[in-house]
Amino acid sequence: MINPFSYFLIFLKAALFSTGGLSNLPSIHQDLLSNGWATEAEFGQSVAIGQVSPGPNGLWVISLGYLSFGYLGAILALLSITLPPFLVLVVASAYTQIEHRPRVQGAMYGVSLAVVGLTLTACWTILAQPGIDWRGLLIAVVAFGLALSRKVNFLLILALAGLTGYLLYR
Amino acid sequence: MEQQNPGPGKWQLFRIWANIGLQSFGGGASTIFLIQRAFTEKHKWMSIDEFTHFWSLCIPTPGINLVAVTILIGRKFGGIGGIFVSLAGLLIPSAIITCLLAALFQHIETLPAVQATIRGIIPATGAIMLLVGLNFAGPLLRKSSKEGIFVLLASCTIIVLCALAVILFKTPAIVVVLGAIVLGALFFAPKQKPGSVSQQGDEQQ
Repeated sequence: MINPFSYFLIFLKAALFSTGGLSNLPSIHQDLLSNGWATEAEFGQSVAIGQVSPGPNGLWVISLGYLSFGYLGAILALLSITLPPFLVLVVASAYTQIEHRPRVQGAMYGVSLAVVGLTLTACWTILAQPGIDWRGLLIAVVAFGLALSRKVNFLLILALAGLTGYLLYR
Repeated sequence: MEQQNPGPGKWQLFRIWANIGLQSFGGGASTIFLIQRAFTEKHKWMSIDEFTHFWSLCIPTPGINLVAVTILIGRKFGGIGGIFVSLAGLLIPSAIITCLLAALFQHIETLPAVQATIRGIIPATGAIMLLVGLNFAGPLLRKSSKEGIFVLLASCTIIVLCALAVILFKTPAIVVVLGAIVLGALFFAPKQKPGSVSQQGDEQQ
């Protein structure tokens, strides 16, 4: 029998020590499996659903919540990923108090550079997956060109990519 | 602030975020791309510099960065109410769809057609992510090139080092960010030496 409160705490703890995407997975994985509150298959499915469904990747926990504990699980999972980011208000107000110091401005510039590097990393991680061959890279190039032109609706780009995938790989 | 376009009302804010949440198939890359485009290009309510600044504050914050940036932008345009309207818009419609998909997906996941379609969408999201990165990099590199070729080269080097650290050595993102903080504080703190040929940012604002 799942205890809703500890169930929620497992998700919250994982969210607090993660930075989005799937980074809360290992912690939740360990805790839920050791309690017998979710199965390995449910994890695989929720990650897959997270890839397909709209919204941030981090929403994958909502499908995990749903699959392992029904609608209550989904709601608890949603709460667990919504609360920790509120700490950004603390970070922002701490920053406004010290932002005029040159060192702090330099540090912030460093963070912005890291942001660019991490974004490129994410791009690399997506494109370096085993399922992506030269045709996949071609899709990426065309999608990049279309998005850069700002003339083609974003959903249309994804739909075209999906259609191309369907025709190539089915 | 005065010369910028007036911000959105609460209802408009909700609709913009709901649109972002519902359109961002393919995960975080799409979401951040759509937020960038909605607030800095389509409506021009904030500059890309301010957006980059917000995003930089979200990186060291625990939890999903996209949710954190939603909180900051929501607060900018509507205080506490703005935060809740924005979060509700971004999360609730897409969470409901995620639940429905979870119910449905167990049945169609293994269909070859579904897998083929997903295999086509994934590289497109990679491309979107690259565009997001370039949008972040643009203003930073323009600013640093004004401060000289050395600063520009150093900035590019740090970007590449951050990327390589994660790709080659699987360094955790938080460690990369901490490293960048140290390097930034050491090498990029604006100097105010009298007599130096300084034409830094202060004057042009």
